[in-house]
Amino acid sequence: MYNTLIRNIIRFIGLVLLQIAVFDNLRIGNYIHPCIYVIFILLMPFDTPTWKLMINGFLIGFVVDIFNGTPGLNASATVFMSYMRPFIIGITTRKSDIEGKNEPSIGEMGLQWFLIYSLLLLVIHNLFLFWMEAFSIKLFGVVLVEVLLSVPISLIFIVLLIYLLKPVKNKSNY
Amino acid sequence: MYNLFIFIKKYNAVILFVLLELMCIIMIVRNLPYHSRKMTNVSNSITGGFYKTTSNWNDYLHLKSENELLAQHNALLQSRLGYEYYENDSLIVDQMFSFLPAHIINNNISDKNNYIIIDKGRVDGLEPDMGVICDNGVVGKVVNVSNHYASVMSMLNSYSIISCRFADNQYVANVVWDSKDYRFGLVKDIPSHLIINKGDTLVTSGFSNSFPADVMVGTIEENEDTENGLFNTAKIKFSTNFSTLRFVYVVKNNYRSEIDSLCITH
Repeated sequence: MYNTLIRNIIRFIGLVLLQIAVFDNLRIGNYIHPCIYVIFILLMPFDTPTWKLMINGFLIGFVVDIFNGTPGLNASATVFMSYMRPFIIGITTRKSDIEGKNEPSIGEMGLQWFLIYSLLLLVIHNLFLFWMEAFSIKLFGVVLVEVLLSVPISLIFIVLLIYLLKPVKNKSNY
Repeated sequence: MYNLFIFIKKYNAVILFVLLELMCIIMIVRNLPYHSRKMTNVSNSITGGFYKTTSNWNDYLHLKSENELLAQHNALLQSRLGYEYYENDSLIVDQMFSFLPAHIINNNISDKNNYIIIDKGRVDGLEPDMGVICDNGVVGKVVNVSNHYASVMSMLNSYSIISCRFADNQYVANVVWDSKDYRFGLVKDIPSHLIINKGDTLVTSGFSNSFPADVMVGTIEENEDTENGLFNTAKIKFSTNFSTLRFVYVVKNNYRSEIDSLCITH
C-alpha cells in the first residue's frame, strides 16, 4: 500500500514534468499534440474505484493545466477519460481475464490488449480535450483531424515510455 | 434520508463525474477569454430568444393601450398638419403659406425690446416681415435678414403688434407687450361691449400677411381697468413659452407680393 502510494507520487511528478517540459513543446504543426500524462490513469490498478480514478485524473490534468495556462481544459478531459475507463476495461476484457491481475500494464495483459485499451481511452481523451478547446460544434472537422493525428503519436510515445520505465515498475510490483 | 444515502452510494461515480466536469467547465469559462466569449454568445442567444418570445406575447397583452396611444398620437399629428405636414410638399402648388423650420441660436426675454436670432437667412428665402411661429403659438416677425441668419422681433417687444381675434366670437383685437413679464402681454382695442372671460382663447386673425389664420396666441388672464370708454384692455397669457423656445417655423406667404401690389394700387 505504502509502496503503491510512493510509486504513484513519483509517477505523477515524473509524468507531469515530462508532459510540461518535453511533450508540450513538441507540438508538431497545429494539429499534433501528444498527451502522455494519461499513462497515470491508464496504469492505475484494476480495483481502483471510479471516484478515485476521477479524483486522480482531475489532479493530474489540473496540474498540467496550470503549467499550460488553461485551467480546466486537460482536467475535464482526464476526468471524462477516468470515468470511461471501467467501461473500456469491461468491453475489452472478460471477468476471468483480469482475475489475479494487479494493473493493466503491458507486462500483465500483453501488448496487443494494451494497445487497444489505450487507443480507445486516448481517442476518448483527445476527442473531449480538443472539443473542449474548440468549444464549438462547427469546428468538429478540425477536432477530428486533431484527434486522428494526435492519437497515434501519443500512443507511440506512451508505449515507448512504458518500456523505458519498465524496470522501475517491475521492482515495485513485487 | 436513508434512500438519499443509498442513491449517492449507488451513483457516486456519476455524481462525482458531473461535479468535476462542472468545476472544470466553470474554470474554463472563467479563465479562458475565448471560451468565456463563446459562452456569452451562446447564453445571449438563448436569453435573447426567450425575451423575444415573451415580448411577443406581452405585445398582444398591451395591444389595447398601444392602440389608444397610437390614436392619441395620430390626433396630435393631424392637428399639426397645417404646420409641418405640407412643409415641403411639392404637390400642393397653390398653397398660400409654407413653413420653414429653424433653430433659435440666440434668445432674450429680459430686455424691453427682445430679439431672437435664428439660423435661416436670405439664402433660405427669408424676407423681413415674415411671421415666426412655434408648435405652441405665435413667436414674432422677422425684422432683419442676413445671408444665413435672421433676427426676429419677438412678441416680447414694445414695437410688436399682432393682429388677433377671439376664437369663439371672431372679434378682432391687437396684442402688445407691456415690458413686464415674459409670460403675459396686453390685449388692446377690445370692443367695450364685449364680455370677456378668463380663459378666452385668442388666435391670429389672418388679416396680416405675416401669419396664417387661427394660430394660437394665448388665453385671457384677467380684465384690466381702462379709462378709455370705447375699448377695453385685458391681460393675456402667451401660449408660447419664450424662455424654453428652441425650434420655430418661419411662415412664408407665397402670395405676399401679389397682395401687397393690390394694397399699394388702392
